[in-house]
Amino acid sequence: MASEKGSKLLFEVLGNVDTSNAGPRLGRIAIPGRKDFETPNFFAITSRGVTPHMTPDVVAAHTQFGGVHMALEDFIEKARKGTPPILTCPGPSILHRFTALPRSLVTLLAPRRSPAVTAPVGNSNTAVSIFTSTGFQSVSSKAYVSYMKTLRPDIAISLADVPYGSLPGTKRVAKMGDRTQLWLSELVNEMPEEQAVFAPILPIDFLDQSEYINYVADELADTVSGLAFYDSNVLPDIPATTTIVKLPRLSLDEPSSPAHILRQISLGMDIFTIPFIGFATDAGIALTFRFPRPLPSAETQTTNGTTLLPLGIDMWPSSHAHSLTPLSPSCTCYTCTSHHKAYIQHLLSAKEMLGWTLIQIHNHHIISTFFSSVRESIKNGAFERDCEEFARAYESELPEKSGQGPRVRGYHFKSEGPGEEKKNRAAWGNLGGEKQVGGELVPDEGADELEGKGFAEKIEA
Amino acid sequence: MVSPASMPSALTFELIARCSTTKARAALLELPRGPVQLPLFMPVATQASLKGLTPQQLEETGCRLCLNNTYHLGLKPGQEVLEKVGGAHKLQGWNHNILTDSGGFQMVSLLKLANITEEGVRFLSPHDGTPMLLTPEHSIALQNAIGSDIIMQLDDVLVTTSPDTKRMREAMERSVRWLDRCIAAHANPTRQNLFCIIQGGLDLEMRKQCCEEMVARDTPGIAIGGLSGGEAKADYCRVVNTCTSLLPELKPRYVMGIGYPEDLVVSVALGADMFDCVWPTRTARFGNAITKYGMLNLRHASYANDFGPVEEGCGCICCRTGEGSLGVTRAFVHHVAAKETVGAHLLTIHNVWYQLALMRSVRQAIMEDRFPTFLKQFFFDKHGGDKSKYPDWAVEALLTVGVDLMED
Repeated sequence: MASEKGSKLLFEVLGNVDTSNAGPRLGRIAIPGRKDFETPNFFAITSRGVTPHMTPDVVAAHTQFGGVHMALEDFIEKARKGTPPILTCPGPSILHRFTALPRSLVTLLAPRRSPAVTAPVGNSNTAVSIFTSTGFQSVSSKAYVSYMKTLRPDIAISLADVPYGSLPGTKRVAKMGDRTQLWLSELVNEMPEEQAVFAPILPIDFLDQSEYINYVADELADTVSGLAFYDSNVLPDIPATTTIVKLPRLSLDEPSSPAHILRQISLGMDIFTIPFIGFATDAGIALTFRFPRPLPSAETQTTNGTTLLPLGIDMWPSSHAHSLTPLSPSCTCYTCTSHHKAYIQHLLSAKEMLGWTLIQIHNHHIISTFFSSVRESIKNGAFERDCEEFARAYESELPEKSGQGPRVRGYHFKSEGPGEEKKNRAAWGNLGGEKQVGGELVPDEGADELEGKGFAEKIEA
Repeated sequence: MVSPASMPSALTFELIARCSTTKARAALLELPRGPVQLPLFMPVATQASLKGLTPQQLEETGCRLCLNNTYHLGLKPGQEVLEKVGGAHKLQGWNHNILTDSGGFQMVSLLKLANITEEGVRFLSPHDGTPMLLTPEHSIALQNAIGSDIIMQLDDVLVTTSPDTKRMREAMERSVRWLDRCIAAHANPTRQNLFCIIQGGLDLEMRKQCCEEMVARDTPGIAIGGLSGGEAKADYCRVVNTCTSLLPELKPRYVMGIGYPEDLVVSVALGADMFDCVWPTRTARFGNAITKYGMLNLRHASYANDFGPVEEGCGCICCRTGEGSLGVTRAFVHHVAAKETVGAHLLTIHNVWYQLALMRSVRQAIMEDRFPTFLKQFFFDKHGGDKSKYPDWAVEALLTVGVDLMED
């Protein structure tokens, strides 16, 4: 670990730098004050500054990821009425200090959550729409620069004119590159030299943003510290200048499966943010895939009549209720070394928060192991072959969710207006009319099952 | 009533120190899964999980004895799963001690149309209306399957404030008869400690009779039940004080459902050793932090820019400074409280730590024979030194054991 002061982010491509730009690659990122980490790798996604379900001590003790993705919109809901509290937090490393994040982890600050909720009004020439826990607001480029100057994340993603939701029309596409270019230049001009800034690459065709990308390549290649791709498909078109090729590449492209991650790695992506980890956890799905192939000890399951293995196990079904085996055989995570499926199934079924915590620990571990195996594979020159093997072994998408997730909060989704279905099932309900009874206390079972369980016995009326 | 022969015990109770003024005691209770120091607060892991904390995090708070609720475990995962898994310890990966209640309290207070007969608790299945019966034998069989280190008898619980003396007497006497049935049904007396539960409402004469009858049954430990149900605090204190005077000195005394810090320290002064309550963990989920200066609702806007620890000087992983500290601030808890469950987890850790640390300092004070001074400081801190704010019930209760909070 380097000292807190000194130069900014260092990225080193390990092995020969291929100027053709494409192809998987190994790298190492070193940021002063943080633990170095090797790429390809991922940053955990946070919500309001925390990795959901995991307290900072759990993150420190039981996870292996090298950094976190934070969203500015999670911290500035009070901006309309005054100063957001985070700005008054004593530094240095305000993001770490404010969120009690372990100091060894890298912070990456982006304007929006991943995935972001679509705003009802679009961006303007000077500002983007964001969604805070108290509603929609806009944040101007000027304000964004000022936030970054105070918060000083290890990696700052510059403001991008990204249209969430619908596809942009021709007129909008024309503006996107111009706006993003202007906002990037405003940020890099204002930030101290040692601040690492990643230039956003927009989710539109290369040709539609070529002017902007060429500006980055020609004018800012020595100034910016990396590229942040909202669409990984643009990567092969990026000009392969010596300086640009040496920049780390972050994917904000929200891969929906390990196959998508592998595809992006094959394009040369270095760092990922992966919303499906959290989706799987909330759905009660424990990820079980290994790269490039399942461990020899893995049970050979078949689903849908094929020999493809599922990428994860839905932990809701009561078929797990007696299982004393870990979520994934040979997994060395805290969850798998301390607890079994029966407990996790019980916790989900009882809606105990610990169920999601344990699955979250495991799922992050599975992804860390996945990336470590990917790096090993690239090192051995076996990546392409291994990807093919992975595709032959596993299903392409995650299993469907069957159970109910944890409570959804207001800032997680956009209300669709009146008559909308409730996002959270009521925990309390009327039983037989007059008296309300606690949901968890009313047996789900009928009398026969209760008797079978030894809970009580049936009697003559 | 016949008293059976002296029953086996799976614990040892060693009296370490006695307060020379009050009835407070410090003791060492050796249970099947390790020793615990009394007086003690036990956090409640209702459904085999302490509200989002990993068993490792619970262990880090210093907890070595927590509660599980028999009623909840009987429904989920159920006796059959518990038997296959090998009990509640194996289910939740908790290698320390567990205490389970009998399940009767939840049954009576929460299920519609439950009524109590000599056989047991009758209720209608909420699904199909089938009449069902939960007996002392069911409760013990379930607790045997759970494998908890301390199990509780099924008792006939009435709210203490019930005006029906006849019904109260019936409940008390029935609880004694059910204790005999529980003792007879208990399959593992050498591995699990059965505690009786003293009933009798607020009627001190009835409580005395119940103490006499139950003490004669010689269970390894004794609980004082039926309290914490909305009775006046002064009445509560009279019942505890009366019972502890009649209980054998060398057995643990557990007052069920007590958890407010003031109630804890006063109950210890009145001679009680063990307590449990869901309040510290429940209130954490509402954003409330327990501190020695009272409770703070960290959801209040005044904490948004407060970058101090939840409680200065607290040793929990959130608050402590130096090696291994997380540096959690009030502002951070405010930022996530009620929005991310992590906020609740952090306050749960803090509140459980507070309760356990409070009892540790109570114990230390008893061992150094300065408990009366401790009590005065406790109330001084809690009420900002304003004696007019001290609750009358606490002042009066402590006077009965020789401590005058009002003197300087």
